Amino acid sequence: MLPVNDKNLVSRESSSPGRWFGEEGSRTARLMIYILLAIVLMFMDQIGHYVPRIRTAMELAFEPVFHVAGWPAEAFESIELRTRERNKLITENQQLLEQLLKVSGSVQTQTALVQENQRLRDLLGATRGREYFFEFAEMTRVDLDPFSHKVWINRGADEGVLVGQAVIDGLGIVGQVEDVLRHLSSVRLISDPDHALPVQINRTGLRTVAYGRGETSHLLMPNVPLQADVSPGDVIVTSGLGDRFPPGFPVGEVERVERDSGETFAKVYVRPYAALDRGREVLLIEVQKPPEALPTETEDANEPPQLEPQDEAEPLPVDQQ
Amino acid sequence: MKHNRESRSLILLTILMAVLLSLIPLPEVLSPFKPYWVALVVIYWSLETQDMINMGLAFLVGLVLDILSGSLMGLHALSLVIMVFLVQHFRSRLRFFPPWQQALSVLGLLVNDRIILIWIAALLGEPLPTWQYWLPPLIGMALWPWLFLLLDRMRAMARQQKS
Repeated sequence: MLPVNDKNLVSRESSSPGRWFGEEGSRTARLMIYILLAIVLMFMDQIGHYVPRIRTAMELAFEPVFHVAGWPAEAFESIELRTRERNKLITENQQLLEQLLKVSGSVQTQTALVQENQRLRDLLGATRGREYFFEFAEMTRVDLDPFSHKVWINRGADEGVLVGQAVIDGLGIVGQVEDVLRHLSSVRLISDPDHALPVQINRTGLRTVAYGRGETSHLLMPNVPLQADVSPGDVIVTSGLGDRFPPGFPVGEVERVERDSGETFAKVYVRPYAALDRGREVLLIEVQKPPEALPTETEDANEPPQLEPQDEAEPLPVDQQ
Repeated sequence: MKHNRESRSLILLTILMAVLLSLIPLPEVLSPFKPYWVALVVIYWSLETQDMINMGLAFLVGLVLDILSGSLMGLHALSLVIMVFLVQHFRSRLRFFPPWQQALSVLGLLVNDRIILIWIAALLGEPLPTWQYWLPPLIGMALWPWLFLLLDRMRAMARQQKS
């Protein structure tokens, strides 16, 4: 595509190439060529052929632009933060303290539960649960195409972000890391029409897949059997199948169940918990593979990944399952 | 034709600014009103200069915008190429329109562009956007006369510096 453009950039005498079709005709012909080119590009991008790789390379080249585009909003926010009234800050601080107290209260009970869970697992001889580390990241203030279902976060390869890592916010699953630049990475949201999320209904354990619909307000689970026991209000969690998303993280709540007896499956609409369209702060989940063997030879296999996140903003070791 | 050199760098500069403007987020309340900056600037240049901006350049700018805004590769390229084509096609008429009529034609161009985008989005299985989707063309129309004056001013200044 580049040579075509270069030629056009250089050839200034675009009013004269009407050798074959006349001026108007040649313009139409060029329009057709460009439209065709654009359609081919879009098609290849959509089916994931070559173009996404070119895009990643170009994004890497354009990384500074993202930083520059983020400045105004960041500056604005820091000014706003500085001029915020004192009273407001104090009440906010109060609220946060209360919230922290509540959360640490529930965490206390959780540690006991985790230990109990571990004991039971040991009794059963089951594998050890996985350990997760959370790395804090912020969405950068860059406006993207509303149809892209993508956000940029301010952690990249230099901070150890990996492609495919799951991203959550305080409430639920947000998406997964798609491209990793040096200090930025893009996150594909679960609302993307091409995104499929392996989930499970918490109450019944029924496993299914939740697809994005292009809307941040709901996901769709189209493959739930008609007779399945699903009702509005059921909590949906990740099932951990597919190995992208760790199991047990909340996704959303069943909003509506459509049972049409003419169809094979019921359509279940899920309202995601995560603030897909308005959140700012997110957490990257780092899965610590369970030490399969006994601690004899795990020394070097286990040490580096565990130490790595620790020099970055103190991740919380939390045990799930 | 005399001012080719300096105009080209000015064109690229204004387009770059438009691209940055489209990446910079507006406050929550204003975000649905965000105009299609790049298209407005591209329309201006293809209206005002005979051959400084052509479909090739529009395509290239569109690709850059696609990469930066995360849209499907070729989407904005397509939209800008069509925009430049239409402006060039009706250029002789558009140029002598009074400002309000010109603003109306800009509205037409932008709405046409939105229709193309909605069509592609529908092919991709996106849900139909809300009525707010149609706000940016209106804002673009409202901004057009001012943007026109601003860019004219910038051009005059660049020319003065040159001579």
